[in-house]
Order: sequence, then structure tokens, then C-alpha cells
Amino acid sequence: MKRTLIGATAIVAVGTMALSGCGGSSSTSSGKSGGTTTLKLVAADYGTGPANTSSKYWASVADAFHKANPTITVNVQVVTWANFDTTVQTMVQNKQYPDITEGDYFSNYAQQGLLYPASKVLSNPGNLLPAFKAQGSYKGVQYGMPFTTSSRTLFYNKKLFKKAGIMSAPKTWADIQTDASKIKALGDTGFGLPLGSEEGQAEALLWMLGNGGGYQNSSGKYTINSPQNIQTFQFLKKLVAAGDTEPNPANKMRTDQWQQFAQGKVGMINGSPALVPIIESAKVLKDSDWTSVPIAGKNGPLTKTLGVSDNVAAFKTDGTKAAAIKKFLDFTYQDTYQLKFDKEYDLLPATTSAAKALASDPIFGPFLTALPHSIQYPSDTAWAQVKTNIQQNIGTAVTGDPKTVLDSIQAKASAN
Amino acid sequence: MTRLARALGPVPWLLPAVALIGLVVLWPVVVLFKTSFQNISPDGFVNGWAGLGNFRALFAEPALLSVVLRTVVWVVVVVAITMVLGLMLAQLFNVEFPGRKAARWALIAPWAASVMMTSLIFRWALDYTSGPINILLKDLGIVHSLGTNQTDWLGRPVAAFIWMMGVAVLVSLPFTIYALLAGLQTIPADLYEAARVDGADSWRMYRSITLPLLRPAFTVALLINVINIFNSFPIIWEMTRGQPGSSTSTTTTFMFQLKQAFIGESASMSVLNFAMVIVIVLVFLKVTRWKEQVN
Repeated sequence: MKRTLIGATAIVAVGTMALSGCGGSSSTSSGKSGGTTTLKLVAADYGTGPANTSSKYWASVADAFHKANPTITVNVQVVTWANFDTTVQTMVQNKQYPDITEGDYFSNYAQQGLLYPASKVLSNPGNLLPAFKAQGSYKGVQYGMPFTTSSRTLFYNKKLFKKAGIMSAPKTWADIQTDASKIKALGDTGFGLPLGSEEGQAEALLWMLGNGGGYQNSSGKYTINSPQNIQTFQFLKKLVAAGDTEPNPANKMRTDQWQQFAQGKVGMINGSPALVPIIESAKVLKDSDWTSVPIAGKNGPLTKTLGVSDNVAAFKTDGTKAAAIKKFLDFTYQDTYQLKFDKEYDLLPATTSAAKALASDPIFGPFLTALPHSIQYPSDTAWAQVKTNIQQNIGTAVTGDPKTVLDSIQAKASAN
Repeated sequence: MTRLARALGPVPWLLPAVALIGLVVLWPVVVLFKTSFQNISPDGFVNGWAGLGNFRALFAEPALLSVVLRTVVWVVVVVAITMVLGLMLAQLFNVEFPGRKAARWALIAPWAASVMMTSLIFRWALDYTSGPINILLKDLGIVHSLGTNQTDWLGRPVAAFIWMMGVAVLVSLPFTIYALLAGLQTIPADLYEAARVDGADSWRMYRSITLPLLRPAFTVALLINVINIFNSFPIIWEMTRGQPGSSTSTTTTFMFQLKQAFIGESASMSVLNFAMVIVIVLVFLKVTRWKEQVN
């Protein structure tokens, strides 16, 4: 309830700002008859409260843009993540299209022909990180433009490692097994394994990659029950049975496990840059108490990790605004605004030039070097359903028979 | 002509009620059935008809049978415990004691609190590392240490389900007690006096006077509880999301789990739910001879 209220006030606040900006411009542009364009931007809120709500970021971008381009006004609507998908879906279902969205991207909209291709609304689409191109593409044309990204690494608690007498970072599954059991002996959780519905699809994929598996093969066919994946879950099942993870990982949520890590109670966990602010705000672990390294695989650290992007999409609406959208997106994708966004929310940039500018950063450097080689989730239109099914059921692969569970997920995935 | 006009006379007065029932009750049922035969993308685009495809997919779900059986256990156990406890507590609240008024008011609290809130509080209280219930159990020496499989009540399907049944009983009790209490107060006191004169003991009076005369109130409370518990969603959703897999789901939460991506299949689960409710109610009416009761 409180959250909605904050969201609502934020929207009102932005609305007023946009309105006042509009009022200023209309007097100057009134000479040129009807030369103004209004763009409606719907963006997800990455903030944790009113202090760092994304409406502040977007208001500053929109204001600066309006100063440079007085004939174009951008109305910003910031929506909480929990409501983002339904808000956009409702707009689309009611044909009240936004002009630009930033957040989750639906390949279905490209399939329905509702979106502009990237080449039409961005002067230099080649600057977008190529690793994320396929994910935003439909039939070879890029529609979803990555705006912010993150990649996964293995976080570990150096303090607990020292206490358990472990000298080096875990590199292989065998390392994880021995290190986790040593940490368990201290009375803490060895490895945080959130396989519940929040992010089970990410955790599962990170382990599959460690054994040369994945969700799809190179030709885009689902291979969820491949021998490698089954072997992966047989290993995880052993790890769980030995008590080296938190109890009953099958329904544990990522947010809770990250909190536990931030409280210093978990030895190792797969994380993304978004874990950093959680650790900092818990104030239990000092910067020197934890670090992050490439994710451990069966025989050695992963050279390719999971990369995730949130995307910008441009809707065609009445088809007259492509030029205005292009101006705005070119403006927004400047390095300054990319870096400003990523600094604010501990995320990673989505353009090659901004990534270069951040490569020497001590905390984000390791994530960025992993980014260009990152693996993405499947990008076909069936993925939305497959993902939900994985989130729902993947946890049972460590409680029941791994093969049966993976077989049934595969059966449903290939039925599409 | 006047005859027709007279016959049509009540129509304008009935119209709002009929329209309301049509819009709020019948129309959604029609849409539900229609949806269950459609092929719908996860974000709501209708991609044509699916024939019986949704039902076929539903019956091919490996979890379906155990979900249905679990629903039966859920309804029978929760309603049975609620009714028995309700009978006992209603009797207690019917007796004169100091502070009875306050106690009756206090009874409303768990009823007035939203079920979702109650469930969230229990989820938090059962947290495996720091939930107050676990801390209490540890202080009492019932569990050995926090953060273990033993304290992870909501992570073990059977334990989680038992806890959730407990919460369901807790939130159903106030209504049940009030319904039965209202029934108890309609029983004339002189019946008991007459029985006492005839030398009946209190157990005999309870069996021969209280229970039979309480039957209408009991029947109403029972039916409403069966329907409520069958449809109960927030307890399970907030405490376990029906996970791991669907191993703590009932048909209602299972329908919602499916809805996230398989809208058509979820609608066919709803159709199945709808059919089950109708059957339960019909059987119930037959068994309890509802008409005689109400008249």
C-alpha cells in the first residue's frame, strides 16, 4: 500500500515537472504552428524508495533533452517493477500504446508488428553491446535495445573462508563441495542455492553452464533434459542432501538468500551487481570481507556467464514519431546518462563506449570483462512459458529424480 | 393488453437485480468457459481456438492428481477441525462469565484481519533462521538449532501443509463460532429446564436438545466453510506459493500457478474447479435435506 502511494506521488511529481516544462516550451514554439511532439515514456523503477526512484533519473534526462530540443516534450511514467509487466500489457491490450518503454521486453510485441526496429530509432545501433542483440531480435531484426545490463559472478565471504581455513577461491564443483562442508561445520550455510520461483531459472542455468549444458543447443532447440543437465542436477542433489546448502533450496527465493549472504551467514552464492548495495546497506560485511570471482564450473571457472539486460522498446503508435523518438534515444544513450544510471543502481552499461569508460572500475571491472562473452536466456516466443515452468518446478529436481523433472519440463518446452 | 402490462409490471423492478446477476455471475462463467477452449499467449493475445488442447494439457500435468487429492484432504481436515473446535468454543462463549462481552469482541479480531496479512505474519514467524516461533521452540528445547532443516517448516511440503491447515482453521474459527453462537441463542431456555426436571444430565441435554436444534446453524456454517476453504487462496500463496513444484498446492493455487504462463490451461483448471464446487454443493444439499432445514 505504502509502495503504491510512493509510486503514485512519484508519478504525480514527474507529471507536474513534465507539465511545467511543457508550459515553458509552448510559448516559444507557438510561432511554428503545431511543431511540438509529445513522447510518452514508461519506465520501470529501479529505486528502493523515494530517495533514489528512477523518476528522478528520467526527469533529469527529459529536462535536459527538452532544453536541447524545445519542440519535443517527454512525459515520463515510472512504474514499480512488480507492476511493470501488467501496466505495459494493459496499455497494449487497450491500444493505449506508450511511445517508449524501458524495462522488461516482450518479443511478442515485435511478433505482432507493434515495434520500430532499432535501426529506425537509433543513429548508431552498433554501439549497443552485441552480446544482447539476439535477445532483442525477432526474425533477425533487432527491436529490443539493451539499456542496462548485469552479469553473474560467484560471491564469497572471505571472513568465513578464513575461519574455515580455506585458502583460495572456489574454482570447481569439487572445491564448492569441500568448501561448503567446511563452512557448514562452522554452523553457517555453505552455498546459498535459491531454486524457488523468484529466480530459479537463473540459478539453474548458471549450474548447467558449468557442465557444458544450457537451455538450448546452438540451433535454438530446447535441450533441458540433456545428459549434461541431468548430471548437473544429480550433483546439486548430492550437495543438498549433504546439507551443504540452505535447507530445502527447492522453494527458497533469491532475495532472501542474498539477504542471508549480506548478513554474513552464507559462505558462497551466485550474485549480480545488484547484490552489492544489499551487502552495503546491511552493514555487516566490510568491503574487505567479501569478493566476487568467475562462477565455478565442473572442471574450472566459467569463461562465459549469464548476462541479463533490461531493454528499451519503441512503439509505432500512429507512425509519425520515429524522428522524435530517435532524437530522444540518441540523447539518452550518451555515455553520461548510461553511466549515471549504472552508478545510481549498481548496474552495468549496455553500450560498448560506456562499458569501455567503466572497465577500470574496481568493483564493476570484473563484471564488465565477463559481459561481452555472456550467455543470454533463449529469445524465442516460447521462452516466457518455458521460464515460468522452470521457475515453478526446477526446485523439485533436487528433491525428486532429476531426470524425471527435467524430462517433464523439456516435454512442455518442446510442445510449443 | 392490460393483462400483458400487468404481467410485465414487475420487470422494471427486477431488471437491476437480473442485470447484476447476469453481469457479475453469469458473464464471467461464460468467459471462463470460452477461455478454456482458446489458445492464449502469456501476455493475453488470443491466438485462435485450442479445441480440447487446454484440457488435454491439464490432464497431462504430472502434478494434477496429487493436487486434487491434497485439496480433498485440505477441505475435509480443515473443515472438520474448524467445526468441532467451533462447537466447543461456541458453547463456551454462550456461558455467562465476567468479561464475556470483551471476549466476544476479541474473537472478531482474527476475522477482521485480512487473511493475507495473517498468512504473511505466519510466514515471517516461521522463518527458518529468525522466526519468533522457531526461537520460542528453541528456547523450549523442542528444536536444536536455528537455520536447519528442522526449523524450515515451510520448506518441507508435509510440515508446511500442516502449518497452513492450522492457519486455515484459525481464520475460519471466528465466523464458525459466531454462526453457531447465534444458533445456540435461538434455543429456548425452558427446554433445558424441562429436561432438567425430567432428570437429564448435561451430556444428555446436549445430545438431545442442543445438537438437533443447532442443526440449521451448523449446516449453514458447514457449507460456507467448505466453499471458503475449497477456494482459499491467500494462505497457501503467501506461505509457500504452492512450492516446491506444486507439492503444497490445492486446485485453487494450482490454477494460479498455471495462469502465470498457460492462461488457457489455467482456465480449464478453473472449469474443473467450478464443476467440483457445483458437485459439492449439490451433494451437500441432498445430504442435509437443505429445503426442510431452511423452511
